[in-house]
Amino acid sequence: MHWKTRSRLTGWLLGTVTIGFLLFQWAPMFTMFTLSFSGENGGTTFPMNGVSLHWYRNLWEADLFDDFKPPMLRSFLLALACSATTVVLSVCAAQAMRGRFRGNGLYFYLLLLGLMAPGILVGFGFAILTRLLGIEGAWNTTAYVVHVSWALPFGFLTMLAVFNRFDPKLEEAALTLGATRLTAFRRITWPLILPGVIGTALFGFSLSYDEYARTLFTSGSDGTLPLAVMAQLDRQLTPELYAIGTATTAMSLIVISLCAIGFWLRARALRGSPT
Amino acid sequence: MTLADVPVIPQLDLELRHIRKRYGDFVAVNDVSLQVGKGQFICLLGPSGCGKTTTLRCVAGLEEPDAGDILIGGREVTGEPPWKRDIAMMFQDFALFPHMTVAKQVGFGLEMLKKPKAQIAARVAEVLKAFEIGHLAERRPAQLSGGQKQRVALARAMVTEPRILLLDEPIGALDYSLRETVMLELKTLQKRSGISFIWVTHDQNEAFSLGDHVVVMNHARIEQQGRPDEVLSRPRTAFVAGFIQGNNVLEGKAGLVRDGVLEVMTALGTFRVPLLDLAPPAAGSALSFSVRAERLIERPGEDVPNRIALRCITVEYFGAFRRHVLEGAGGTVVKYDQFGALPQSIREGENIVLGWSLDNGVLHRAPPA
Repeated sequence: MHWKTRSRLTGWLLGTVTIGFLLFQWAPMFTMFTLSFSGENGGTTFPMNGVSLHWYRNLWEADLFDDFKPPMLRSFLLALACSATTVVLSVCAAQAMRGRFRGNGLYFYLLLLGLMAPGILVGFGFAILTRLLGIEGAWNTTAYVVHVSWALPFGFLTMLAVFNRFDPKLEEAALTLGATRLTAFRRITWPLILPGVIGTALFGFSLSYDEYARTLFTSGSDGTLPLAVMAQLDRQLTPELYAIGTATTAMSLIVISLCAIGFWLRARALRGSPT
Repeated sequence: MTLADVPVIPQLDLELRHIRKRYGDFVAVNDVSLQVGKGQFICLLGPSGCGKTTTLRCVAGLEEPDAGDILIGGREVTGEPPWKRDIAMMFQDFALFPHMTVAKQVGFGLEMLKKPKAQIAARVAEVLKAFEIGHLAERRPAQLSGGQKQRVALARAMVTEPRILLLDEPIGALDYSLRETVMLELKTLQKRSGISFIWVTHDQNEAFSLGDHVVVMNHARIEQQGRPDEVLSRPRTAFVAGFIQGNNVLEGKAGLVRDGVLEVMTALGTFRVPLLDLAPPAAGSALSFSVRAERLIERPGEDVPNRIALRCITVEYFGAFRRHVLEGAGGTVVKYDQFGALPQSIREGENIVLGWSLDNGVLHRAPPA
């Protein structure tokens, strides 16, 4: 057998591990998704008692959802702001790394340290710091700063990878054709790094939207959605929570699918439509 | 020397005065001076890392020299950014914008000049037609062949009719079969447009067949510049002679000078080399000279002053010429090229005497101490 040909046994083994992993990854979500459609008398565990949209209807009508609406809105706005800020800072930080400067190695590692720092400690430490400075914590001030610091390393790494594959000769060509640096960035660099920018924006959004540990101590009296869900879990567990989870996951999937379709259309446009 | 001391010559397209550029401890360009008259074809020739591309990038404004002045069309531009210089540049891999159609990128330079849309469209159509790529107007770079990309890159650079076009190994990315055609086209284009071309290459065939003026660089310095035939027939340094194919470079010590002819003692014997415009070197000082491989004469007569006894090691037939590699005293290797489809006259392993007439020896400048 040629060394490049995979043996049947290896194929099965690798396939099993891969499928097992995917199941492991998606099973919890699928459980929640299934249980959210259980009947009126359904509980929060299997077996399901009937199938209905009862909990979704309940969610829409009941008071419970009113409790969730403000945190949901806050989380959404916070995630949007975090996403936008992460994009701007990541692009700038990665651009700075392209230019090389004194201490750029240190800068790189310090930025990435944010990935390693335990969230609960970061949140708590930040809360102590703000109290020391006499700043009142709130979801749209202190929590916002902490969320950005959490999403930034991810965005930074994404943009670094994007710029790694970016040919600086393209910018130079634009400059020699009479474009100023700003014009060259706007007309050449930006459209070419756009897929990476969208990826960074998605990171910024999703990392903020479901962040619990870093928000716990920093969001003040008005909590975000993860905090509200956690609080509700402490109080009473009903399939309504599952319905909320399913609804938000579906939202994320829709957004991601839209992005994927966008990328695909763009790639097709760059290749040129087959004629 | 300050700028005020030097008269500005407006008819020059480009003037470099003592350009110097370093990266940390590495000197990339060292004291490079160059004058380019109106509408000239200049070739910067040298091995990789010799500073030719850095020099070009300094002219473009993509690099800032540490010292020296750059004048384009008589105007000092040393501190100016690329977009304020009257230049365009063509890159080795063409650097086409992947997200723009051919028409869009050819019009880019005009857009930057804020020309009206209708005027841009008309001019782009005209240029695309002139470069025979009108049918590609709506394509993107990914849908173009190498030769088509090259044309698009050229059209994009030429559309604004800059004073100088800088070309960084512009045909290096093309297939061999295409290169010759493209070279001819570019030469014609340059003559017709009157735009000065500054062409960077490591390929001497390109440099000598295209350039009105060839600049040979090595180790960040200009070794020699001049007309191609001048550089070819009279290499002024051992590096230039060695870099140009077909030269035998012989090293030795200076002897006596008589009637403008220097005696040079080498491992192969003593030879007589004309001084020409060089000052007589001190007796015993190290120097070198060269003889072109096709200027050697087989079994020379008594009237030929320079003679060497050699043993033929290999004979290679290249089609256009036959190259003999021979070895002399002390293991010195000598090449002898025989042009014309003549029958082989020297066998491998054969001992033979070769010689050359006085005026075919080219003495080199003494290496800088």
